Amino acid sequence: MASQAIEAIRYRALIRNLVTKDLKVRYKNSALGFLWSLLNPLLMMVVFTFVFTQILNQNIPKFPVFVLVALLPWNWAAASITLGCSALIDNRALITKVYFPRILLPISIVCSTMVNFILSLPALFLIMVVFHVGFTPWVLYIPVIVLVQAIFLTALVMFLAPLNVYFRDTVVLVEVGLTAWFFMTPVFYPIEAVAPNLTAWMYRINPMAAIVAEYRTILYHGGVPDPLFMARTGATAVVMLVLSYFFFNRLNRNIGEQL
Amino acid sequence: MNWHGHGDRSSRRSDIAIEFRNVSRRFTLRHEQRSSFQDWFIGLLRPRGKAEEFWALRDITFSVRRGEAIGILGRNGAGKSTLLKLMTRVLEPTSGEIITHGQIHAMLELGAGFHPELSGRDNVFLNGSLYGFSRKQMDERFDEIVSFAELERFINTPVKHFSSGMFMRLGFAIAVHMDPEILVIDEVLAVGDSAFQRKGYEALQRLKAGGATIVFVSHNAEQVRSFCERSVLLVNGKMLDIGPTDEVVDHYNRMLQEEVVDASILRVRAIDDTATVIDRLESGQDLGIEVLLRLPGEQHTSALFIALDLYDRQGLHLFGRTSELPDSLPLIDGAGPDTRRIRASLRGLPLAEGPVTIAVTLQRSAGLGVDTVDRQETTIEIDPVGMAGSRGMLRLDNRWDWEAPPSLDDESSPNIRLSRWTSR
Repeated sequence: MASQAIEAIRYRALIRNLVTKDLKVRYKNSALGFLWSLLNPLLMMVVFTFVFTQILNQNIPKFPVFVLVALLPWNWAAASITLGCSALIDNRALITKVYFPRILLPISIVCSTMVNFILSLPALFLIMVVFHVGFTPWVLYIPVIVLVQAIFLTALVMFLAPLNVYFRDTVVLVEVGLTAWFFMTPVFYPIEAVAPNLTAWMYRINPMAAIVAEYRTILYHGGVPDPLFMARTGATAVVMLVLSYFFFNRLNRNIGEQL
Repeated sequence: MNWHGHGDRSSRRSDIAIEFRNVSRRFTLRHEQRSSFQDWFIGLLRPRGKAEEFWALRDITFSVRRGEAIGILGRNGAGKSTLLKLMTRVLEPTSGEIITHGQIHAMLELGAGFHPELSGRDNVFLNGSLYGFSRKQMDERFDEIVSFAELERFINTPVKHFSSGMFMRLGFAIAVHMDPEILVIDEVLAVGDSAFQRKGYEALQRLKAGGATIVFVSHNAEQVRSFCERSVLLVNGKMLDIGPTDEVVDHYNRMLQEEVVDASILRVRAIDDTATVIDRLESGQDLGIEVLLRLPGEQHTSALFIALDLYDRQGLHLFGRTSELPDSLPLIDGAGPDTRRIRASLRGLPLAEGPVTIAVTLQRSAGLGVDTVDRQETTIEIDPVGMAGSRGMLRLDNRWDWEAPPSLDDESSPNIRLSRWTSR
């Protein structure tokens, strides 16, 4: 394990290049390029706001900020899971011809979608200013949540990518799963709207619920995060990461043949 | 699992670069792959037929000294590629141990890691980092790589616009500039034009002189002879011989010549689009050729070639093409045992008239040349349909343009008329 860690450090330039490759390729063929990172969530925000404040008559103040603050981290999760699922299959030409630590492929997907997430934050801050939502010093705590989310997503992607090599319909199931998961995560509704006896369970079995709630507490409510709360989620994420690391290495041994 | 002591630069004092100890590699050939959950559930209910096992390599033991060039000889399917993939860690051995000392760079497929949308420049850096090179290390080499590949003008163009020659040249240039301690090459010397081939060959000689260990794989014995002092001969996954290249190459050539080929052509027939047997064909139509081969399962197809030739009435050679047979051909139901069917098609046969002789020849490679194993012919008559007014043996699309072509400023004028006469 130690030698693998050393190897990963030796290959750090690869992660960087894979991430730049992902970003460059993504924006290469569209006219607006990088602007889509900002426009896409803003358009989604407009749709959600229209539906929930005009059609459904929901009474959440400053709804655009309320929804966008959760939508951005959710989009990051959805993108990294969708792309990460096929990270190994998409790179089969590489895997069957060159040796390199293959674990870097799913990791680089989480990194490149994270860069995308961070680049879309200015859109959120702009909307916050427009709706007069104040910033508290706890904004500085956001990187911790980002880190926890990154660990959690890496764990998931490290599990799904090799699974998808053996069972090619993993990617289809994941698609359905993501839709279900989206509705089970308080993105467009407040956690308070969940039946009180289920709230604790939602946090327990759905780390994304906890992560999204934390972003919202800090940026929308201007509240103070409970450090223990994130510590629990973080611990879950780390345990998952260790498990899926072993899972990946176990399945990795025959991937050259399976692809 | 026994694993490589790879890339460990502290062990460079050792005299051995690569060591294989009783290495075997098994592949499982599943006739039905459980690649979806549905298959998997069905598999739980209904036990499948036993998976077929195939040993691509069996009990291979040899070592390569630092600075040595070793050749790996063998026909297609002998296990050469598997050996290279084990050496470069793309695959893991089923049993046995592989120890390598030094940074390995493999040229299994030039430009394997290139991304079509990225520029040549970005791809050089991406490729370098695939081998664990930092940006700084690549910066130092970048100019040399580009000038070696002769791509100065195109290096900022996305590689999807590169010709295949440019693609390969860049891949080759990167590989030889990575200061590999061990370079594994799989028949890539045939890159670019002859001037570039010479340059590539010289670059490899320089690396070799600089102390790099080179593993060179080819089924071209002469290339191996000119480059490697020692060679390994693989046959059906086993190591049949190892020793000085001259001896091993002779052994290989002798083996190819002595081998009895048990195969024959049963029947050659001309067919049309609907696979109906024909003896006449309208001029300009597609010609299909169906060949039945008797090819016992034990017979390897890897050294076998099939040649298709067309002759006219006077025996003039109209067309010829030789193709390698694939590793496996399906058996056909209902026919005798070992019978296999292959089909060729010639689109829009451009012959105007007359009988055409179709000759199919089964050949095998024997050292530098080829031997004929079996040959059969059939003849069809070409009906000169739609050939009224023309003469000669070829059917050519032809026309006269009676007037001078319109100049650009006349483009909008409706008065320009072209009188044409065409055969169609």
